[in-house]
Amino acid sequence: MDATKRKRIAITGLGIFSAAGKDVSSFTEALLTGKSAIGPVDLFDVAPFPSGIGAQVKEYDPLAYFSKREAGKMSRVDQFGVIAAGEALRDSAAASHYSPYEIGVSMGAGASGMLQSEEWLSEALAGRRGNPSLLRGVLPDRTATILAETYNLCGYQSSITTACSSSASSIGWGADLVATGTLKAVLCGGSDCLSRLTFSGFNSLKVVDPAPCSPFSLGRQGISLGEGAAFMVLEDETDAIRRGAQIHGYILGYAVAGEAFHMTAPDPGGADAARVMQQALDRARVSTGAVGWVNAHGTGTPLNDMVESKAMKLLFGERAPQVPLVSTKGLTGHCLGAAGAVEAMATIICLNRGIIPQTLNFRGNDPDCDLDYCHQGAKQSAARVALSNSFAFGGNTTCLALSKAD
Amino acid sequence: MDPAKNHIVITGLAAISAAGIGTEALREAVKRGESLLQPIPEEVIGQSGHFWARADAFRAADFMPPLKARKFDRCSLLAVVAAGMALKDAGIVAGSLEPTRIGIVLGCGLGGIANADEFLRGYFTSGAEGLQPMLFPNVVPNASASNASIEHGLKGPNVTVIQRFCSAESAFHMARRFLEEDRADVILTGGVDEVFPAMLNCFKAMGQLRSFGANFGEGAGILVLEREQHARNRKAQILAGAAGVRTIGRPAPGAHEEGYDRLLPEPCTADLLSLSGTATTDKWLLGHLPELPRLDIAPVLGRSLAMGGLAMAALVLMLKEGETGLHVAASPEGPYYAIDILGGDPVRS
Repeated sequence: MDATKRKRIAITGLGIFSAAGKDVSSFTEALLTGKSAIGPVDLFDVAPFPSGIGAQVKEYDPLAYFSKREAGKMSRVDQFGVIAAGEALRDSAAASHYSPYEIGVSMGAGASGMLQSEEWLSEALAGRRGNPSLLRGVLPDRTATILAETYNLCGYQSSITTACSSSASSIGWGADLVATGTLKAVLCGGSDCLSRLTFSGFNSLKVVDPAPCSPFSLGRQGISLGEGAAFMVLEDETDAIRRGAQIHGYILGYAVAGEAFHMTAPDPGGADAARVMQQALDRARVSTGAVGWVNAHGTGTPLNDMVESKAMKLLFGERAPQVPLVSTKGLTGHCLGAAGAVEAMATIICLNRGIIPQTLNFRGNDPDCDLDYCHQGAKQSAARVALSNSFAFGGNTTCLALSKAD
Repeated sequence: MDPAKNHIVITGLAAISAAGIGTEALREAVKRGESLLQPIPEEVIGQSGHFWARADAFRAADFMPPLKARKFDRCSLLAVVAAGMALKDAGIVAGSLEPTRIGIVLGCGLGGIANADEFLRGYFTSGAEGLQPMLFPNVVPNASASNASIEHGLKGPNVTVIQRFCSAESAFHMARRFLEEDRADVILTGGVDEVFPAMLNCFKAMGQLRSFGANFGEGAGILVLEREQHARNRKAQILAGAAGVRTIGRPAPGAHEEGYDRLLPEPCTADLLSLSGTATTDKWLLGHLPELPRLDIAPVLGRSLAMGGLAMAALVLMLKEGETGLHVAASPEGPYYAIDILGGDPVRS
């Protein structure tokens, strides 16, 4: 089968814009020092909700990045996406080596322009005529179109919308587009921002922790929402080497599946999550023994963290206690549509730095979460390979198998 | 695996649209060619002279208990029912195949937005007390495909894709690749969309009711894809072959010819040309579409972001055995797709 002929997919560009860091350098610093970005949210009124905190991108002035005219055409999500994608494309320099038709965009989308659309709806319900431009980003495909136009990426354009696994899947699918020869290079990742819809929605489901989220800890009460964008540029390793590109790491394989269990609750046994992790390793042709650690979905909800721990035991067996399962959501918040890309980025950075990042905000040992979560601090690691999990509403599950640069 | 048996074939179809329920209703409506667009009542958008094509014959209660139907949004209902019809058409009954080897990759344009609108209206009019938590799980665009996967036990690859008027074609492209990679044995693909007043009022506010937001339709068009060898092993009907997919993201300034060559390489021949999205009005494509007999379901059934599922299903239905079809879909600002379909069973023909 043609899977045997798959090319090795290299990461040649990284870019991020998030509450934990507005570029790769500052994000790396936050990862290494464990400086959480979760704090009070003032993007909109959060007073009605039990939790008023999140990982909001603070001190953000669009005019520091865009002209007034440009900024007016883009939602907050679009702007974050353009900034992060720009860093990734500059880092890669792939665009100057290929035809515009050989580079495309594989986007993972979430609430997209909902924040601005909410303002229009609020005005309409108050009997006022809102500015129609607020509705430009109401559909989640808008950011991909803007990225394609802004950076003249003409080979491909799509947006995966599987809630919290969107951007992890967009990276896997981006790797496929290069592996099949559809594209020479692909910009892939995701962008999402805080909105009243998601803030009120998760609060209404009572899954938001009033304190900064504490994945895998005793007494955890749920997520802390976040926002940001992260993008990678992927290429065939042979092409990347030929043009002298710096290689940050590799997408070894990925798997996507549906649990077919429940819209908002995971299969409590963890078998489906373990299955998807195993499939990602199979696609990567990597044994479980080669995996140094796993970047968890690790939301901080009581059920997710328990199920993900069970899945680890199913996958790694007796070795599970020796494979750290860490969550970076205590640092970045849960960035929803961008979460998978932000966490894949964190994984690659940490693999190359030789560390396993700390899971922040420890509150105590939970007997249901009895693995190594690096709660006490980051650890040194010589691991070459790590997994990054993303789970979503609908039972959509994605796992990326990632490796450091050679 | 024998590469010669690795072709991707279409073994089942489902259609729900303004034409009615089922593929025969779609086939007959396309043959008649009469518009099923209806005037949008003036009270819906405060204006007259606009049209939509709703799937009025679709009643969820005909397919499931009303209490169960209440937990779904309309887009999910369309997807759940159409997925069941597609599986049945492909001869796949529950338990006959390994669930982890059946996937769903669906295009969905407006899914989730109706629930998001209702959820936010509750908040803006009554504050936190007005929030209805049961609406929130279905505000995500993947609710349709994921609810279908839950209802039918599809545990294989599960992805929802949106990209303008090419959402279903984007999904088809991905589904086909997943089968080539052996990520699944069977994948349901195509598109689902609903049309609802809140979205029409957004189109109205943006001044798009007479352009991109005009004549919106709704429904679901699902195709069952699998590798030829798998289909033959289980003695499935083979309705058509999914021969190839070409796409570009958008025309590159100053390099239009390269774009045409990639999307519609010469010789560009087929017995029937299916057009979807904005392909009939796209200025970039104008003059470059091959002169072939045309199939355009939009004037009959309306248009939506994921209507390509119905358009591709219609193409499969209209192709005679041995005939070739070319499905071309376009969107404002891209992307563009060209999909080759071979009518009938590729071996028999």
